[in-house]
Amino acid sequence: MNIVGEILTTAIPGSVAIAYPALGELISERGGVINLGTEGAMLAGALSGFAVTITTGNIWLGILAAVLAGAACGAVHAYAVVIRKANQLASGLVVWFLALGITSVLGASYNGQVVTPLASIPIPGLSSIPVIGQALFNQNALVYVAYILVPGIWWFISYTRPGLILRATGERPAVVFAGGHNPTLVRYVAVTVGSALAGVGGAELALGIVGNWSDDMTSGYGFVAVAVVIFARWNPFGVAIGAYLFGVCLAVSSVVQAQGIAINQYVLDALPYAVTVVVLVVVSAFGRNNAPESQREALSEIQ
Amino acid sequence: MTVEQSQKIAVPGVSSLRTFAARIPWKRIALVVGSYAACVIVFTAFSAWQGANPLTIIPTMLQSSLLDPSAFSQTLLRAVPVGFAALAAAIPARAGLVNVGGEGQLIMGAVAATGTGLAVGGSIPGVLGILVTVVAGMAAGAIWAGISAALKVWLGAAESVTSLLMNFIANDIMLFLIYEPWKDPNGSGQPQSRPLSDGIRLEPIFGLDINVAVIVLLVFAVGMWLVISKTGWGFALRVTGGNPVAASRNGLPTKSLALSAMMVGGALAGLGGALNLIGVEGQLRPDITETFGYIGFLACFLGRNDPIKAVIAAILFSAIALSGNGLQITEGLDGSVVNVLLGAIVLTMLAVGRRQGETL
Repeated sequence: MNIVGEILTTAIPGSVAIAYPALGELISERGGVINLGTEGAMLAGALSGFAVTITTGNIWLGILAAVLAGAACGAVHAYAVVIRKANQLASGLVVWFLALGITSVLGASYNGQVVTPLASIPIPGLSSIPVIGQALFNQNALVYVAYILVPGIWWFISYTRPGLILRATGERPAVVFAGGHNPTLVRYVAVTVGSALAGVGGAELALGIVGNWSDDMTSGYGFVAVAVVIFARWNPFGVAIGAYLFGVCLAVSSVVQAQGIAINQYVLDALPYAVTVVVLVVVSAFGRNNAPESQREALSEIQ
Repeated sequence: MTVEQSQKIAVPGVSSLRTFAARIPWKRIALVVGSYAACVIVFTAFSAWQGANPLTIIPTMLQSSLLDPSAFSQTLLRAVPVGFAALAAAIPARAGLVNVGGEGQLIMGAVAATGTGLAVGGSIPGVLGILVTVVAGMAAGAIWAGISAALKVWLGAAESVTSLLMNFIANDIMLFLIYEPWKDPNGSGQPQSRPLSDGIRLEPIFGLDINVAVIVLLVFAVGMWLVISKTGWGFALRVTGGNPVAASRNGLPTKSLALSAMMVGGALAGLGGALNLIGVEGQLRPDITETFGYIGFLACFLGRNDPIKAVIAAILFSAIALSGNGLQITEGLDGSVVNVLLGAIVLTMLAVGRRQGETL
């Protein structure tokens, strides 16, 4: 296979690891709360998923633990932001710090251990499509769930009544309140559920891709997820494209190194972040500004 | 607020001591003190669960950060990068901008100081060489923050997100320099840059372990407070931050104010990175900043964007961060356990501090 094809096809697992936290962040932001704690939720999800898997031997219990750990991080952030009206960016960083501290202490004994990563499940028929079949349809279960989540979340926020309430809470909470719903509760749930998805993203990283745990293994992916949501203009399909772009950047790095092409490693390491910044800037400059109304303040709010 | 007011009105002219006692919000004080105590207890319990001795944790932490004179010097030295990062967040915050890029600006300051130091080392004598090095660090920090500011002002990209992502780019730039062009040939396997010559290192002062950088930090804390509260530029910043529409209607140059606020913030962080490099480190190494930039951001938040309070919070946080070393050595804990305490303290402040912002 040529190198471009190889990059495009190996990008899928990495992009799914960013798609989960980005979709979670999208739910949270459509409800009006930006969550930098996504990074922390990914770390918590990665470690708890790994630890439970290695202790119980059941990878599905591990993924459940990742969901719960992510949700716990989200609940803390939601309490600070929704109930206490704290600065959203500062609170998110605090959640990240807590998760970073706790995971590096608790994770120390898991460094160097390995589990068998989630098995790939080829989908009969689809996986034998030339070129793209193996890349798209011979992946682990979390990847397939992500395929379903993207249109599912789009349908949920566009066409269902709870989705409408969620969007309205992100735009004008007062209107939701007048309509007889509880915007505080909606935001609390949105942040917690979004963060739980970020936990799954961490599990995909630790259990789906590498099968081990290392300190600070998310290396900023959660922050990238926040940027992806913004340049995806709060649209799930945009998030899917953004996540794939990020996955391609990661794949470029690993494929180029494996091929022994002489491009500096640190240039490649910086590539995902640099591309994210560039795309964010281009979209911000030329895209339609359809940020949820309460987000416009939050993105550069003062306290 | 309303309770206090009603109490003021309800008991006029009664014995002033009793009025005073009645006006003290005992419940509130109990709640706040209790919450911070609870956060220390939770931290102690967490450490004990990880195998530390719960009775010696707090004494060990105090000993390794505050009580021992040389440990206190270390805390003050650590406060230099953290404190400047806090100032770097505080100045833009007054103009309504969020600078989460203190980490990257510290790194770029240290990188520029190393580059300049390696280039001029020995050829420019004494204080002048130090000045050139430090100014290079400030310029690099200002440029790095200025990129985020320019993207915000002219292209509308959220500076909070771009400055955050640029931290990771800065880190990769530094790693590239450490592993490739500036690699120390005598590094004995340790990844690090070539060391700066002794001529551009800061000497200890007052017969203590601290160097002049600590004084510089305190001077800048007061200086930035003066700039914010007493100068026209500072007033314009506060107006822009308080009400951007009113600011632009009144003809304030909001774009150049945003740019200048962010670049001053970046220059401060660059200064912190440069001073930390020539004062403490002497050469670049990976993890030279160890999340100091983020700790500074939280310190700024704890100090409610006030330069002096932010630097005091930075000193407190530095003490906590440093006490991790003591825990590592005597209790055998992972040093990053102190991040839990740092996070818990700020979280407690969020939970029981004055409410911020508007209700839904």
